[in-house]
Amino acid sequence: MNQSLSNASNVYDDHQNKSRDAQRKADRWMLPGAILMTTAVLGPIGFPLFLKGMAMQRRALLDGMSVRPMICTLLGYLVIMDSGLNSIGWSLDIFAHHSLISRTLVTAWGNMFDAGYFWHYNELWAGGAGAPGEKSWEYSLVPTVFCMRLAAAIGFLQMKRWGHQWLIVTCWFGVIYWVGYVANMTIFADLRYANIVFPVWGWWLYDIFYITPFLAIPYLHTVNREIFSD
Amino acid sequence: MSQKPTVDHDRRRRRALGVFQILIYGYLLTMWGIQLYMYSQRDW
Repeated sequence: MNQSLSNASNVYDDHQNKSRDAQRKADRWMLPGAILMTTAVLGPIGFPLFLKGMAMQRRALLDGMSVRPMICTLLGYLVIMDSGLNSIGWSLDIFAHHSLISRTLVTAWGNMFDAGYFWHYNELWAGGAGAPGEKSWEYSLVPTVFCMRLAAAIGFLQMKRWGHQWLIVTCWFGVIYWVGYVANMTIFADLRYANIVFPVWGWWLYDIFYITPFLAIPYLHTVNREIFSD
Repeated sequence: MSQKPTVDHDRRRRRALGVFQILIYGYLLTMWGIQLYMYSQRDW
């Protein structure tokens, strides 16, 4: 009797260890892929790495391993990319607005999609984008919500309860900044969309991928919370 | 303090989330519509 219990326990432990290893191996591809994608410029390199990691996790799932649900993987990494892309782009605009990459890529982007990043670029005392309100968004959101969002996504990917809770908090933050930022784009539309290559359509096509908070909120509020641990 | 049955609680939560989705996507569509209207009226 004791022998069979011990065997069952070994089988369980063995399965747990194999599952953990499979998840770790998949994350070893997905995390660098996601980080590369947050730089925007290196995105084409990061995307295939991320896909390979996802395929590895799916294979582990099909092999019966106890790995993270695919929806949690996608949401967690999407949030990492959302916070990373915003943080890197806006940090460059705050601290490195005179660098070559900012003066070429950012103003070229501004010239095509959003004149807020072209109009009087580097002419105000703070440097970088001169659009009304833009710098306030950068100063307020990067050190608060985007840092919190990055930490929350890491906790969420580790299936921690605090990760789930803080992802909910920061997704509601996301609703606030989306409502505010889109209002800004509309109020100052005469400045931001004037004399650019793709007015209105370009900005929406490019930025609609940042609405991950809206997509995540219904899932986060209805998922079975027992799958997250302390 | 009265506690609602779980099923009813879940249904209310789902309905509230549905209302939230309609409001938030409605807001985005409205802002997009305003910008497209401005684009049609102005010489951008």
